[in-house]
Amino acid sequence: MNLTTALARLLIFPGLLFAVPAAWFFLWVERKAVALMQGRIGPPFMQPFYDFIKLLGKSTPPRSGVSGLLMKMWPLIAVSAAAGAVGLLPVLPSSGGFEGDLILLLALLELPSICIIAAGFSSRSIFGEIGSAREAALSVSYNVVFLLAIVSIAASQHTFRLEALAGLPTSPLHWLGVVAILVCLPAKLHINPFSLPNAEQEIYSGPMTEYAGPELAMWELSHGLEWVAATGLVATLAAPHLTLWWLAALVFVGLSFAVVLLLSAVAAATARLAIDTTVRFYWQCTLIFAVLAISSALFMRIRS
Amino acid sequence: MSYKIPMGPYHPALEEPYKLDMICEGERVSDAKLHIGFNFRGIEHLAETRNYIQVIALMERVCGICSNIHTLTLCQAMEQLTGQEPPPRALYIRVVMAELERLHSHVLWAGIAAKLMGFKTMFMTCFEIREKVMDVLQAISGNRVNYSMNRIGGVNRDIDDPLAVLAMVEQLEREMVRTVIPIFTTSTTARMRCAGIGVLTHEKAISCGVVGPAARASGVPQDLRRAAPYAAYSELEFDVPVEKDGDVRARLLVRALEIMESCRILRQALAKMPSGEFHTGEGKIVFSTGTATSRVEAPRGEVMYSVSWKENSRNPSRVHVRTPTFANMPAIRWMVIGARLADTPLIQASIDPCYSCTDR
Repeated sequence: MNLTTALARLLIFPGLLFAVPAAWFFLWVERKAVALMQGRIGPPFMQPFYDFIKLLGKSTPPRSGVSGLLMKMWPLIAVSAAAGAVGLLPVLPSSGGFEGDLILLLALLELPSICIIAAGFSSRSIFGEIGSAREAALSVSYNVVFLLAIVSIAASQHTFRLEALAGLPTSPLHWLGVVAILVCLPAKLHINPFSLPNAEQEIYSGPMTEYAGPELAMWELSHGLEWVAATGLVATLAAPHLTLWWLAALVFVGLSFAVVLLLSAVAAATARLAIDTTVRFYWQCTLIFAVLAISSALFMRIRS
Repeated sequence: MSYKIPMGPYHPALEEPYKLDMICEGERVSDAKLHIGFNFRGIEHLAETRNYIQVIALMERVCGICSNIHTLTLCQAMEQLTGQEPPPRALYIRVVMAELERLHSHVLWAGIAAKLMGFKTMFMTCFEIREKVMDVLQAISGNRVNYSMNRIGGVNRDIDDPLAVLAMVEQLEREMVRTVIPIFTTSTTARMRCAGIGVLTHEKAISCGVVGPAARASGVPQDLRRAAPYAAYSELEFDVPVEKDGDVRARLLVRALEIMESCRILRQALAKMPSGEFHTGEGKIVFSTGTATSRVEAPRGEVMYSVSWKENSRNPSRVHVRTPTFANMPAIRWMVIGARLADTPLIQASIDPCYSCTDR
């Protein structure tokens, strides 16, 4: 991957130029789908964009010192990381990439979550701190399954290069990994039943409680970009290998859309779980997934 | 390390302004303190400046959910002072209004409880049914919130066609059985979030003087409709649901069973409604000097009014109200101690608090 293609991917497709409108679109799809399932009308199409613009125009209370500076920095880091993660997705065929880009993608996907934890503690609000503690506990739980799933997919295909992964024929282990990633997405995106860090009835909006104006707009954007990156990752892994670039792009968008709808349906149909139930759930998932992955690997070894 | 987390007076989980200061250790609550009085409107003092017709309209506005219960209790107390005896048809209409209001209150509470569990879809479902209960109330009284049905010596409006209302109630009952009752009783989510939390033991319930569904969920078989029947309750058949566990799930179950019992009472009252007058007429109302008290089983528990009057006065000299939330509040502290922070909104909501009534 040379500098031009890297920049094109980061800034144009599937990077910023595509990802930012896609983030707003996915946020809208999620809100609209949940609203329709609940018998409400839901927001107009442009609402997430209007929200962003309106927040940008608001002023924030002045904050001095290191914590003020940190509070400004966290949302920016989160947005850059999420945008970078979207840019790394091998949507178009033969779009390049490099050995180990999967590891970079995982790191970038994890950064917004770390930023949220840090932001909650930097804000020094009791609600922010509790939200951050919950986010940290949640992150430790679901990431075990998430990483195990991705590593097992990569190990089964003997590569940590995203494009190679997307191009290779799939195995049972591959699909098992995709399902495991899907199970982790509600926690990663803070939606029901794992909307603990921003449980508004308990701790307002958790780590975001002290945020307002452009900084909150950045958080909203990073949340939208996380939606694009996370659903995009599933779409990349689940999409069939296509040589036509426009068809590949269409399939990518269609699959991402389907994942958003699926997650919205799950969010609408469930109540929020408490933190201990959530942690137990993900550790049970880890155990089940580990057993399935090992048996699947053994099965493939015997068959070959 | 313990820390103090304030919940309220302005909090997304609470519809009304009150404050629960919780001392937490990690996600566990080790102690709690309740503060009220953010919503004081001086209604009891205002009542002393209103005449016997205006005071009914004023007391209707003590609460937005059990507005009918407040006027019913007040009118019963004033009827004792004036010697007016409501005709039998008025007593049945009062029962119909009180039970429809109980349905309204319990369904609304189910919605709020679902919202506190983070289950917004269920919240919307419950509120859709609540709208339909309000439609029935509107069909009878012409109003959706403050029904202005009660007057001294009867009710203001007749139910012209009880069988038409009966059909609406039966339709409502079918929808409740299909949607709200399963959420209360068999839903896994409700069981996971509610079983074993916010336990109030039988002994604690008695020592705190808890009333209404909160008491019945802790095994205290107390219901004024049975213990001290008013209106036409002595002529109607119904059961008083009692649960022993004392947790939030028991309170859910008691309310679910009460919804079914309310439907049963409504069916009987509408079918058996006697003919005749529905008020004692437009004659002059004369008060005798004295104090009268009246007690009624509101959706949340016992409401008591104490009304004092001086002869030849148009205004009461004192109107005192004791609401069920005031009796249930102290129990919240014992319910939240040892609970998870995530469960506290649900626990405090499980007594169905109404601070609009309590603060007045």
